[in-house]
Amino acid sequence: MKRSVPLAIVMVGGILFMIQYFIPHQHSQTLFDYYTEWAPIVGAFALVLGVGSLTRLHSHKIKRKAKNWQYSYAVLIPLFGIPFFALIMPQSLGGGMMESMGGDRLTQGVFDFAYMNIQVPIQATMFSLLAFYIASAAFRAFRAKSALATVLLFAAIVVMLGQVPIGELIGKWFPKVGLWILRYPNLGAKRAIGLGVGFGVLATQLKIIFGVERNWLGGAGE
Amino acid sequence: MSIWEKMLNLDRRWIFLLIGIACVVPFFTPLGLPILPSQEVVSIYDYMENLTTDNAIFVGFDFDPGTAAENMPMGVAVLRHAFARHIPVFITAYGPLGQGMAAMALDEITDEESDDYYVYVNWEDWASIREQGITDRAGIEEAWIAAGNTLSENAHGWVFEGRDVAFLGYLPYFHLVILGMSSSIASQYPTDIGGTPLEEMPMYQEHKSLRDIDLAVTTAGSSACVAWITYGREKIGLPVAFGVTAVMATDYYIYIQSGQIIGQMGGLRGAAEYETLLLRDGYTKSPGKAFVGMDVQSIAHLLIIFLVVLGNIAFFAGGFNKKTKLKGRR
Amino acid sequence: MSETIGIWVAAIFTIGIYSFLYKENPLYRLSEHLVVGISTGFGIAVTFTQVLKPKLIEPIAAGEHGAWLLLIPAILGLLYITRFFPSVAWLSRYPMAFLMGAGMGIGFPLSMKASVLRQLEASLVPIYEAGMPWDVVVGNVVMVLGTLAALIYFFFSKPHKGPFFGTGSKIGIWVIMVGFGATFGFTVMGRISLLIGRIQFLLGDWLHIIK
Repeated sequence: MKRSVPLAIVMVGGILFMIQYFIPHQHSQTLFDYYTEWAPIVGAFALVLGVGSLTRLHSHKIKRKAKNWQYSYAVLIPLFGIPFFALIMPQSLGGGMMESMGGDRLTQGVFDFAYMNIQVPIQATMFSLLAFYIASAAFRAFRAKSALATVLLFAAIVVMLGQVPIGELIGKWFPKVGLWILRYPNLGAKRAIGLGVGFGVLATQLKIIFGVERNWLGGAGE
Repeated sequence: MSIWEKMLNLDRRWIFLLIGIACVVPFFTPLGLPILPSQEVVSIYDYMENLTTDNAIFVGFDFDPGTAAENMPMGVAVLRHAFARHIPVFITAYGPLGQGMAAMALDEITDEESDDYYVYVNWEDWASIREQGITDRAGIEEAWIAAGNTLSENAHGWVFEGRDVAFLGYLPYFHLVILGMSSSIASQYPTDIGGTPLEEMPMYQEHKSLRDIDLAVTTAGSSACVAWITYGREKIGLPVAFGVTAVMATDYYIYIQSGQIIGQMGGLRGAAEYETLLLRDGYTKSPGKAFVGMDVQSIAHLLIIFLVVLGNIAFFAGGFNKKTKLKGRR
Repeated sequence: MSETIGIWVAAIFTIGIYSFLYKENPLYRLSEHLVVGISTGFGIAVTFTQVLKPKLIEPIAAGEHGAWLLLIPAILGLLYITRFFPSVAWLSRYPMAFLMGAGMGIGFPLSMKASVLRQLEASLVPIYEAGMPWDVVVGNVVMVLGTLAALIYFFFSKPHKGPFFGTGSKIGIWVIMVGFGATFGFTVMGRISLLIGRIQFLLGDWLHIIK
């Protein structure tokens, strides 16, 4: 029951739906439709795991007064506050859409405010920090130490100049050569990598379906 | 310590400052350099140009706020193009935060303070027209004008909810949602995010499954976009176009060459190219955010190349490639 | 008014995070935590309103025909919660098995088509056709040989020696380096674009000194 049944579900489900692809029959389609309708419902509950783990981690930190425990409130308050507001003000879920989706300003306020003025700027700014680090790395780490490294740097510089309008002012050939690199040698390299990944994914899928790969079972209830 | 060593041990915060300056100053001294659209972007644009109000497209906001600076202008540009040509658009999101992004895109397009805005007409607001049995795009607009509605000077047109746009939003396990929509869109999205039943929407009545859809444009900050190929293109032959971040763009040339996608907007440059085409054909009056950003991008790229070259000169001139071990803070 | 306050709050967070470039600080730590809480909270809210309510609760509450069948995915989904109770935690494997097995079964033929067959097919291009520009001809040669050579480089079951595997893998690594160079160039572009986005916000939406 603990291991065999889940493994059997995976195998039966996997083989059934692999075959289903090749059988254009009404019953086969009905089975497919049921699955695609049910899967998001089952999947929706998986969020519980994330919420549970976050709550446990941060409430534990607060309880133990661990280092920086005060910040744990910044996780827990929106974690429960936002769904609460969404529940009592359902029409506020337009995200950024204020009046246009039909909600009124007051109820939309809380939800929009947290999303547009806290979540968006924080996440966008955190990602943009990388611009500074890549500039620093460009100065300190990218060395033409070998022929291969020189080729990498040369390709990078041509592509960088080819992608910006000023590149064309410096040399008319930059955009052309840049695009040529992207469309041919880059494509060759990426296709080889893509095929490798593709075969890897297929092999993993088969291994999971046939129960060879069982790591997903985890250690729950061993 | 030699001058080269000192240079290589420069506090990195000076470099941070340099890049900051390089990204601010060009905003005040715009160069307005022209952008030549690449075939990868032109093919999406031309494809859209061949669609009419009888067709329908999906626009997937498959990114989070983290990459909005790159993806948002793409989504906005495609939506503007579709709204201008009255091509019905179903808007979806791969992740919950992407739904907020889609909402912000609609907000931007319907912002009355912008030069190029569309007036959003809520589902309820044109109920009386529907009750008269008018569901075709031209008829709706005619009846709407006849009811005394006028457009202000800066407005490009009206966007009728349920006729021109259906904001479907996010669902989990989106790859399965794509598969499910190949049978019926309403089986996955019984209502839009405002609660309007899809079955009642004229645009849904004409396009009930992904098989009736003519293009899916996915604006993505992760490999989510590949799901549209695997589960949409390969399952039912859905035409797909990519709008992806620059970091991912080089990986997806393989799908352009194989014909699995009709084109790709790669990073801010890709978005700027689409904006250039919209401006050229009069769909917008002023250049978009991506186009404006390209001047800054030019200067920043020059600075980065300068830093790479300078770093290498210092490295080799200081002889660190041979024997001298570089000491100090790295 | 609320819009102005919002923009100020956003600007404070933006600058607060940039202050990290100088030194780690409390505002950055606060932002780090907030982003986790809000994104998960947003996820729950959207999932409840757009999945559980219209697709599960409402059809069952309205007594729609055949809606009771939805209890099956609901019960399966609820089994996830058992993960927090060690004695019955193994039950959480059932919903995982339901999603994974069928999901992989559906995905297998489609992934094979999308990532392998179509890609192999696309590698078989005519290298030369009448009227083809020379750069395309050279490009096609580079692309086809490059794919083959890079595949050889990643093929570790044979030693990289001899005219085929040895030379092939050497050419392969050169092609891969060009590919990585292109990716690096684009990565720089992407990172700078994200910074441009924030500067447009600070100078435009917040300070109104650019349009």
